[in-house]
Amino acid sequence: MTLRLFTRKKAGHQARRNGRVPVHPSLETQSAKYQPAPYESVEDDKIKRNFQQGRFAMILRDEQKWGAYSGGGEVIGNAKRELEQRMALVPAGTIAIAQTLSAAPGSAEEEIAVEPFLLDVHTVTHARYQKFVDAGGYDALEYWPEEIWPHLIELKDLTGQPGPRLWRQARHDSRLADHPVVGVSWYEAQAYALWIGQRLPSEVEWEMAASWHLNNSTDMMRRFPWGDAMDKKRCNIWSSRAGGTIPVGEYSHGAAPNHVLQLVGNVWEWTDTEFAVTDDYGGPVVGEMPMYVVRGGAFDTYFEAQATSHFRTGQIALARAQNTGFRCAMDLSEASWINGS
Amino acid sequence: MTRMATITLPKKTTLPCLICETQNQLETLVCSTCGAPMALIHEALLLDRDPCIVTVVGDSNVGKTVYLGMLLDMLSKRAEDFEAVPKGAYSVNLQHTVISYLSNRQFPPKTAMEIDDWHWAYYQVARRKFGAKIYDLVMPDMAGEAIAAEVANPKTFTVIRSLLEKSAGAILLVDGALAAAGSPQPDFFALKLMTYLDGVMASKRMSRLDTPVAVVLSKADYCPACFDDPRGFAQTNLNRLWNLCESRFAHFEFFAATVVGALGYGSDESRNVVPYPLHIAPRGILEPFEWVLSKL
Repeated sequence: MTLRLFTRKKAGHQARRNGRVPVHPSLETQSAKYQPAPYESVEDDKIKRNFQQGRFAMILRDEQKWGAYSGGGEVIGNAKRELEQRMALVPAGTIAIAQTLSAAPGSAEEEIAVEPFLLDVHTVTHARYQKFVDAGGYDALEYWPEEIWPHLIELKDLTGQPGPRLWRQARHDSRLADHPVVGVSWYEAQAYALWIGQRLPSEVEWEMAASWHLNNSTDMMRRFPWGDAMDKKRCNIWSSRAGGTIPVGEYSHGAAPNHVLQLVGNVWEWTDTEFAVTDDYGGPVVGEMPMYVVRGGAFDTYFEAQATSHFRTGQIALARAQNTGFRCAMDLSEASWINGS
Repeated sequence: MTRMATITLPKKTTLPCLICETQNQLETLVCSTCGAPMALIHEALLLDRDPCIVTVVGDSNVGKTVYLGMLLDMLSKRAEDFEAVPKGAYSVNLQHTVISYLSNRQFPPKTAMEIDDWHWAYYQVARRKFGAKIYDLVMPDMAGEAIAAEVANPKTFTVIRSLLEKSAGAILLVDGALAAAGSPQPDFFALKLMTYLDGVMASKRMSRLDTPVAVVLSKADYCPACFDDPRGFAQTNLNRLWNLCESRFAHFEFFAATVVGALGYGSDESRNVVPYPLHIAPRGILEPFEWVLSKL
């Protein structure tokens, strides 16, 4: 026992003398616990590979082309079924977007009509995003806007590999496979959405999905997807005390009427709308870099009023925050399994 | 019939201030020398133990008020199973002010240099488990400019010296975002402050200081590296401070913290640029405090 203690002390002392910083205990524990997701074997067949990678919308976009492949019809049918389960229809409506930061009653608003569209039931998980990373998504320039090309090299994980900021060696922690992917910038979210053949929802689409402000005489607008009162048991915010992200399938009793889950809480969600508001004196509120709207609040959202269906905020497009993820959307016109084409 | 003897107890007309020990009249509301609320003393007298002072120090504009206000509010909300009971309504003022501003997407005003305007918080804090130790914490919100003035010219603000002398632990806030941007200012200010602490707190000049000091890299939302490895960040970007801590402090640890989830810039009525906290996502607020308590 004495010897062990002595050895440990000496090792620490030696590390200090060598100029190495003793690792912070919490980091040491995190690192030791990290369980990298295993590599998956990839299908050789192109259409089957697309299916395996979760690029269902991409398959349906080129339905005629893939239909000509042997077994293509079956894969197309399966892709439709997958999308049917994974996406929900959000009806048409009208959303009033506050134009000022304070959004005080009576302040300027813009009314925007929303066409019906499809929205992912869940936010994108680490496991789903892993397929994008494994497929070389960070090297496929066609999914990234030109202005980000010089910065692509900076979009690395903790070990310097391409991937979300908190991953290691381009692998997610397998214990978090069904948690929302976080540590991704707006550009990474958008690239993933394009890669699977979908897109990010606009801000008004997101709010429509969360508030259900339908075009009917009731003019009812939900403050939360489940109703008008905050309920910490229906979402994951700071006061729910989870202390981190939870699996995307949890909190089913906090779902919107069309069963879309976790629109409020767990992670902020990127939208494809640039953040533009004015302060109380009419001047623009800007970030140090361009900002995009994020919606819904996250596991660390302290004020309940900031985790509602209508609270607007933004995040720097290049920010790779531990509390920000995304979900994808799709135009109804592209949903061949719904419109019967 | 036996007549009972009348005993006249010496009536105390003055009380020593808890912080600076100046004798004050009983009916005085704040200490005539250091401005500490005399309610602190009245509350402390009801206890059979000395209150424990934890000070939050740092440069001007580093986020002390927001940090302290958020910490107290989180404790009041029983975060991490803590229980915090304010002793006296005046103790709630700081957290009330901070939370009111933040929830309206504004930062609270800068703490004034005048001691009378400082917020003092006196809380009874304990873990919510049987037999947990109770701490009577006195945490004042001091102006950064006052701290800087005292560090530069000792005895400018005697209250700061008295407070630090009596502190059982300290939380030193250093601007992580500024340090990450390569500015030497946070390192130098922290170095001065820690040297000052060393001078004020050390009983034996030869031995290392026992008082636990948690160094918190504030505004770390702008600096993910601060969260990834606070120690490594400090050794690289706050090297002078790191070396002093290693040489002179027996108990020190580095942490990263942020209160703001995203920041925007707009203007006020005088067209000055002002930062707006777009949304609030506290991170790393409790850990330094918890660590200091564990070392007391």
